[in-house]
Amino acid sequence: MNDYIRVCDVEKYYGNKSNVTKAVDRVSFTVEKGEFVGVMGASGSGKTTLLNMLATIDRVTAGHIYYENTDITELKEDALSEFRKRNLGFVFQEYNLLDTLTIEENIILALTLQGGKKQQIQGVCEQMLRLLGIADIREKFPYQVSGGQKQRCACARAMVNHPRLLLADEPTGALDSRSAQTLLETFTDLNRTMGATILMVTHDAFSSSYCGRILFLKDGKIFHELVRGEKPRKVFLQKILDVLSLTGGELSDAQ
Amino acid sequence: MLSKLAFRNMKRSAKDYLVYMLTMAVVTALMYAFNSLIFQNDINQYFELEALMEVMIGLATFFIVLIVAWLINYMVRFMLEKRSSEFGIYLLLGMKKKMISRIYMRENILLGGISFLIGILFGILLRQVLLAVMFSMIRVEYRIHISFNKWTVLMTVLCYAGCYLLALFRCRRKFKKMNIHDLMDAKRRNEEIKEKKEGLKQLLLPVSVLFILAFWAVFSMLSDVGEIALFLTGLVITIYLFYMGLSAWIICYVRKKGNGIYKGQNLFLLRQFASKIRTMQFTMGTLTALFTLALMGASVALMFSGYENTVLEEKFPFDVQVYSGDPEDDFTDELEVLQENTEPLKLYTYRIYTDHADQVNTWMLTHLRAWGTMYQKKDGSPDMDKVKSMLKEEGVYCTCDTYMGITDYNYLRDMLGYDRAEISDGEYLVHIKPRLYEEVQGIGEELKIADASGNGYLSCAGIYGEPFSQDGHNGGDYVVVVPDKVLNRMKPYYSELAADIKGAAPRDLNQKLDGLTDDEEHDFGGHKMPDLEGNSCSGSDNIINYAAVNLVRDNLIPEVKFMLASLIIPLFYIGLVFVCVAVTVLSVQQLSDSAKYKFRYDVLAKLGLERAQLHSLIRKQLGAYYLCPAVLAIIISGKMILTMSKGFVMLTGVPVSSGSFFAKSIALFFGIYVVYFAVTYVGFVRNVDEERG
Repeated sequence: MNDYIRVCDVEKYYGNKSNVTKAVDRVSFTVEKGEFVGVMGASGSGKTTLLNMLATIDRVTAGHIYYENTDITELKEDALSEFRKRNLGFVFQEYNLLDTLTIEENIILALTLQGGKKQQIQGVCEQMLRLLGIADIREKFPYQVSGGQKQRCACARAMVNHPRLLLADEPTGALDSRSAQTLLETFTDLNRTMGATILMVTHDAFSSSYCGRILFLKDGKIFHELVRGEKPRKVFLQKILDVLSLTGGELSDAQ
Repeated sequence: MLSKLAFRNMKRSAKDYLVYMLTMAVVTALMYAFNSLIFQNDINQYFELEALMEVMIGLATFFIVLIVAWLINYMVRFMLEKRSSEFGIYLLLGMKKKMISRIYMRENILLGGISFLIGILFGILLRQVLLAVMFSMIRVEYRIHISFNKWTVLMTVLCYAGCYLLALFRCRRKFKKMNIHDLMDAKRRNEEIKEKKEGLKQLLLPVSVLFILAFWAVFSMLSDVGEIALFLTGLVITIYLFYMGLSAWIICYVRKKGNGIYKGQNLFLLRQFASKIRTMQFTMGTLTALFTLALMGASVALMFSGYENTVLEEKFPFDVQVYSGDPEDDFTDELEVLQENTEPLKLYTYRIYTDHADQVNTWMLTHLRAWGTMYQKKDGSPDMDKVKSMLKEEGVYCTCDTYMGITDYNYLRDMLGYDRAEISDGEYLVHIKPRLYEEVQGIGEELKIADASGNGYLSCAGIYGEPFSQDGHNGGDYVVVVPDKVLNRMKPYYSELAADIKGAAPRDLNQKLDGLTDDEEHDFGGHKMPDLEGNSCSGSDNIINYAAVNLVRDNLIPEVKFMLASLIIPLFYIGLVFVCVAVTVLSVQQLSDSAKYKFRYDVLAKLGLERAQLHSLIRKQLGAYYLCPAVLAIIISGKMILTMSKGFVMLTGVPVSSGSFFAKSIALFFGIYVVYFAVTYVGFVRNVDEERG
């Protein structure tokens, strides 16, 4: 398979001349089509910054990000919006559902913004509601349903337009363990059945054990990579925990 | 420390609620400027009706204080709600409720105080403009001088403080009832959308639309005060129910998945609009009512000012004109006064004659639009009983028809600079008020006026419609001009004196002329009701009618203008303040919600909306929100204003189409509207674009 998304020497600095923080420091990696990639790291490791740059919400200080042949760091603002609309889906920790719309309408809106016929939109929406198991709460408003249901609605909204990349920022952060598990299984399903390419940022080992490959970020740099391969999830989780304890050990050594 | 906190909070509020502060400053400025008219001794000393202006402005001030108090109360409660979690934190930190309430009051009073000071400064300038306008209106020379009247300031302070006291008093009670949990929770509760029985509620929309349609269909036919009151009450209720119905209707439409929601951002817009209207339905209703009142006030003010600029100037074509009920009066005393006080160029005394019949009066009562069918039988023929009793008792027309000789007529035409009129021995002509000129074109076919010999009839040679002092002097509404010989068959009815003088008349000439006769003898403006033998006929003018024995143009026009100004100015005052208050509520609502909106627009941006699309979405959202109460107010007030102005044009003869007052007041209104809309839009976009940049 070709390199689907290429991140080349991306850097992101914050602050001014006297006080520069390197949030992301020369990071390079690739994501292949249909991959489920996790990015792990402690708070302040730069993982959300990295995700925001991939999401075109934030601009790189240096480096390039290619989606196949498109270099998104070169695009103008309006072109970026268009690109975002056509190619990306988002799931955030805070759900980001519109509170004035019902669950179903939140999904419909994402479809109507792309343009489309009524029948087609209804069909896609129905399919998504069933796939994510939220068909029975479609008439409810976000404040009337649980966090897990909200997050699944956000997933549905992100996936309806079949984005090239689904970006998830701590999607399980605000969920209880049961809901988190359901959601991660949903991600795996989307990845397998719909062939969705997913990039998920998390600091939770359990969540990342659902990924196919994990990048470990520390102080803005990638310092390790794990591939699940054919390993069962529990074994993979153990490996992840090993890596984490190693970093933790190093840190405590340094202190 | 507390003062510092209050000051800091005030500074922050000032930024958030700039529109509110601006409005308070504008209101203060308006208050100061208009109140100053009450204490403006330079004007009042000239006029008999000085108290009128004071009473009218006082009345306007009363309503304005109430509405501004409502605004302050609304804003104070609104800010309280927005900042409830902040107050919750204060309580958690152990502050006492009393202390918090004191901080909050102090903040508000600081905010109000600053607006007040800015407003007063602005008001001193505005006062100059207002006075200049006012003085030019009443033709008195005015030299601009910046003065600072302590009574005006005191009154403005009292009004302003009154507003605040009314508003803050209610707020104190709210503080007493609060608890920490409610405070922390208040914000979240706001966001809940309650949808219950929408199917039933949506029926309110067609019901209120039907009521408004019925209102349009029936209003001009209502004549009974009770009916009108009933309809107006229904209208007020309709205004409030309309919004409930509208939001329910939109919700039902969205739920039904109507085709419209599948296009672009419509779904978002509709939902946003419905939920905003739902949470604010009562406020929206009140705003609509305010807009309606403002539009009506402005329209009525425009009607009167239209009158003053057009008709009034024509009402007194002669420099001086005097009436005497005695047909033999030679006006010795009046002529003496005129000789003493002025330089007369022409003095002319003449008689108005009558044939003791009432065919012309009857024709007028049955043909003029002003009377409609009041004096007609069902088959359209004159109802003579009603006509007779009208002519005897009401004093609109003279008891008998009024005639004038052609020689007198032509002399008067010369005085006014009109061309001479020529008639032969067998002809007559009719001189009518300009307003009625079009309406009496058929009169010549129906009048039967005997000629000098008494054997034949005169024929109509034409109708003239120049201004001719026909409010009871040269007849009421009309005078029939006949060959001098015909007058031999008639009796003198009353006497008139017309004068052309050099330059302007002295200020007290009218008073001097009035002083010549005892009040008892005035059977004119204030008719002696029981016996109307003489003349008390000012014609069919209504609404504004100035009938007097002695008319001195240069004295009367300012007097009438001042009287009109005491209506026009308070009406504009009320209209301006109401519109400003209403638009402020709209703006503040939107601006302070922009934090919530920012989140929503951020989500939309993540869903791929471009910046330009977002801005157009904001424009649509604000536009719908701003237009809704305005359009409803225009529809509702439209019928009332159009009916009123139609009557006004008909009864006063202002030479404009009746829709023009309405159009002008809408234009005026939208001027203010657009300013607030622009300010809100800019602020809104800035808030939404912040950070995301």
